[in-house]
Amino acid sequence: MNFKIRAAIKDDCKDISRMIMELAVYEKMSDQVKISHKELERDGFSSNPFFQCLVAEVPEENKSKEGHTVVGYALYFYTYSTWKGPSVYMEDLYVMPDFRGQGIGKSLMSQVAQVGKEKQCVRLQLAVLDWNTPSLDFYVSKGAQDLTASEGWHFLRFDGEALDELANEAPKD
Amino acid sequence: MNFKIRAAKKDDSKDISRLIMELAVYEKMPDRVMISYKELERDGFSSNPFFQCLVAEVPEENKSKEGHTIVGYALYFYTYSTWKGPSVFLEDLYVMPDFRGQGIGKSLMSKVAQVGKEKQCVRLQLLMRDWNTPSLDFYVAKGAQDLTASEGWHFLRFDGEALDKLANEASID
Repeated sequence: MNFKIRAAIKDDCKDISRMIMELAVYEKMSDQVKISHKELERDGFSSNPFFQCLVAEVPEENKSKEGHTVVGYALYFYTYSTWKGPSVYMEDLYVMPDFRGQGIGKSLMSQVAQVGKEKQCVRLQLAVLDWNTPSLDFYVSKGAQDLTASEGWHFLRFDGEALDELANEAPKD
Repeated sequence: MNFKIRAAKKDDSKDISRLIMELAVYEKMPDRVMISYKELERDGFSSNPFFQCLVAEVPEENKSKEGHTIVGYALYFYTYSTWKGPSVFLEDLYVMPDFRGQGIGKSLMSKVAQVGKEKQCVRLQLLMRDWNTPSLDFYVAKGAQDLTASEGWHFLRFDGEALDKLANEASID
């Protein structure tokens, strides 16, 4: 199936909000979600946004059962290491279940790594719940270092060659 | 001793760089610091900075043995929770040893909380090494929840009442 990774626009916020909720359900914490598409619009699309977002889009003929063509997202922001400089932090990575297994997740993550590198970032970091073995295995197999494991969270980092490699796998425009 | 907490200016970057190195020595990792004041100038004082910084300044008559009046700093940036909205992340908090015990660290941290709240942030978060018991005790005493402990790192968060209280303790300008 064809898919396209692109930067999110303000109009995507309802889709992103929908998928944020799906991810929260998967993480067994749907009652923790306190923000809607309105906050996403306010916080992600101003002149100094709190976050950046990429979405994965499929053609109309491959839309989901409910009629959605935006089927995945990666939400990230820039952080700073006073030892190494700019870094990128991937807050959320999600692909709807029916659209997995086709490389959409890998493409989203690689695109984040590439965008980060264009901004001179030297790290891509994220956090994962320790019971989330599929995701944990996925990230470690891509070269992430598992830097912390306690109370259910793991802090992961891509840097050096693993980061270069990840960025080089980003889909060509 | 009087001290003042103020936003860092580009000219403070050499002092901040000096203090970053002192903190790295304290964390037993001075060889890991790869950036200098030049990167701080580039990354913190553009139109879309990677970080924000507050410095603590003492009067000339109270300068350090080496002649410094900038004796502490707090470096932070904005992050985003897709469940809760904007958050602030405290990357570094450091006060020179001779200037501790006077509330400079607490003032720096409170000011970060206050600035964050003005920007609608609902969390102040940070990372901590588990062997750093003085700092860990300090943050927990101020109301932080220790959310993760592994491989030496602790993930801490201020929110709700603890955050409000912290922000309310910021020094009045």
